[in-house]
Amino acid sequence: MISNRIPMGLTHSGATVERDLLDVDGLTLDYASVDGRVRVLENVSLRMKKGEILGVVGESGSGKTTLGLAIIGLLDSPPAEIINGSITFEEKNLLKLSAAELSQFRGPGIGMVFQEALAALNPVYRTDVQIRESIKVLERASSMNLSAESENKMMIDTLKDLRLDKPEWVVKKYPHELSGGMRQRVSIAMAIVEKPKLLILDEVTTGLDVYVQNRILSILKDLNRRTGTAMMFITHDLMVASQICDRLYVMYAGRVMEEGNTELILSAPLHPYTQKLFAAIPQGFVDSPPLPAPIGEAPDLKKLPTGCKFHPRCPFVMQKCKETEPPVLETDDERHVLCWLLEKR
Amino acid sequence: MNNIVEVNNLTVSFVVRAGNLLLFERGSGMMNVVNDVSFAVREGETFGLAGETGSGKSIIAWVLVGLFTPRSGSVKLLGREINFRKKADITYLRRNVGIVFQDPVGSLNPRLRVKEVIKEALVASKTFDRRDHDIRIEETVDLVGLRRSSLDAYPRELSGGEKQRVSLARALVVPKKLLVLDEPTSSLDVSVQAQVLNTLKELKSKLHLSYFFITHDINVMKYMSDSLAILYYGKLLEVGRTYDVVTTPKHPFTARLMSNVPGLKRAERQQEDRLGEQGSSATGCVYSKVCPHVFERCVNSPPMFDSGSGQFVACFLHDKRS
Repeated sequence: MISNRIPMGLTHSGATVERDLLDVDGLTLDYASVDGRVRVLENVSLRMKKGEILGVVGESGSGKTTLGLAIIGLLDSPPAEIINGSITFEEKNLLKLSAAELSQFRGPGIGMVFQEALAALNPVYRTDVQIRESIKVLERASSMNLSAESENKMMIDTLKDLRLDKPEWVVKKYPHELSGGMRQRVSIAMAIVEKPKLLILDEVTTGLDVYVQNRILSILKDLNRRTGTAMMFITHDLMVASQICDRLYVMYAGRVMEEGNTELILSAPLHPYTQKLFAAIPQGFVDSPPLPAPIGEAPDLKKLPTGCKFHPRCPFVMQKCKETEPPVLETDDERHVLCWLLEKR
Repeated sequence: MNNIVEVNNLTVSFVVRAGNLLLFERGSGMMNVVNDVSFAVREGETFGLAGETGSGKSIIAWVLVGLFTPRSGSVKLLGREINFRKKADITYLRRNVGIVFQDPVGSLNPRLRVKEVIKEALVASKTFDRRDHDIRIEETVDLVGLRRSSLDAYPRELSGGEKQRVSLARALVVPKKLLVLDEPTSSLDVSVQAQVLNTLKELKSKLHLSYFFITHDINVMKYMSDSLAILYYGKLLEVGRTYDVVTTPKHPFTARLMSNVPGLKRAERQQEDRLGEQGSSATGCVYSKVCPHVFERCVNSPPMFDSGSGQFVACFLHDKRS
């Protein structure tokens, strides 16, 4: 039996360090749908240290958003049902908590910025009302009582930190009156005024042009450096993830196919899926050869293949891959890969 | 090489109610969203148009299929000047120019099956005999790499990549000379994007098409386009061969844009934010408000200067006469 986890609190040097901020262990989750149950996450394990920036990358339907929602406890049950596993945040198993206890962790504990800023913001309130709502949460959690004036200052300062040009103007606007980049920064502001220890960012830069995207990334990087907020970047954009994340988790069909240090994964991806994913990014000029895209279509979670879930699209498929799903294999450089190719013979 | 499309001094204006939009001066009645833009798409080439959100890229695309009427300027298709107020000219335009829109969900009628979506284009063009419709639809579907079984599906039952292929089939079911691709892959996953880009390249050589390709993703642009134009607040700042514009950008904005192209590296990690401010200047050079190299001449609007080897740049820094 191959161990699928590094013993907790050990680093490569063997020294004991502080405990993980977040520890997701063997999370398995189903969605109940009209035509049966669908396994959305299968044995997902993920650890995060304080102040770490971590990337969860994968294509649509790989389960990355579900993972984020599960961690912050925003999945409705039904349809979601956790079959197995635990989510430990600051040494408390979040799955064992009541709804009221859990809500204490949201905001100042775990914050989340959602994919679509327009949908995440309330269209009938001006942005100042919405950001102030978040400040109230912080006040309740830390039993502070701020004057309206200092609330206002906090709001404007946060927006200034996010390098919005005219924060006083922005807070008087309704969400639909703002540009995409401004809206995204308002929703980030709502999350960061609460000073979360862990910030989950779900596709925050998707749909924004390179300019605004780079700007938001550098703002977040800066925030991480200054405040030590741990960040989980959920994205389908490998380039975004590779620019900002310390470690990457590559997901496919609800499984973590490869996990490890960003530089290591970038320089030599081990899982055939990761290799295909990187190769699919256009790099050359117009006369370059066709992109080596993975053949076939994204997996249908209702009809997953036997064995390794990537085997129908894998160029290195072996008989074994069709029969048995590989266990998590650890490499010498502390990567974890779900692939039979890495089995030591 | 002949030009498929020639656009000269194209200006498109929107009526703006006083103070309704942030970017515009209060009370101004007309806003030029595309301002004095000239370019030509040569036969068999992919002409790329890049720019930020809101720079007017899609507006130019819409003009090319007759969805917007320009305020001034001329559009010539295969040498014929298009009069946007003449129905025959618009029909001529649409018969030769197809378009794939950015949003695969919004651009397909949810109440029609895929087959009906594609058929609409055939019926509207009146170029094929009704009896040949089914054969033509099946041919096109094979061409763009859709399964024939998806013909009876509704758009919502298809994946994002398949939806874009339906849009492509609708655009190509009547043979076209030019295809306008407005961010065709920006909503797709990388692996699906790669498949669609490969299909687009194949189709182009197979059907002898020319492309007018819009994207804000410079990596995709490099991979797809022969020529590249950079648009900023409705103004063209630079036009040239893609390789030249990407490797030796002449305009300060292009240079800044190219230095921000994301790659698979973390070199920028420790670096300062190299992005300047955004914004446009209402008078003079549109970039002068935020340009680091601004000097006295920039109070005037620069014309396009030839900087050699077919690269043109709207910047006084490249005026060789001075």
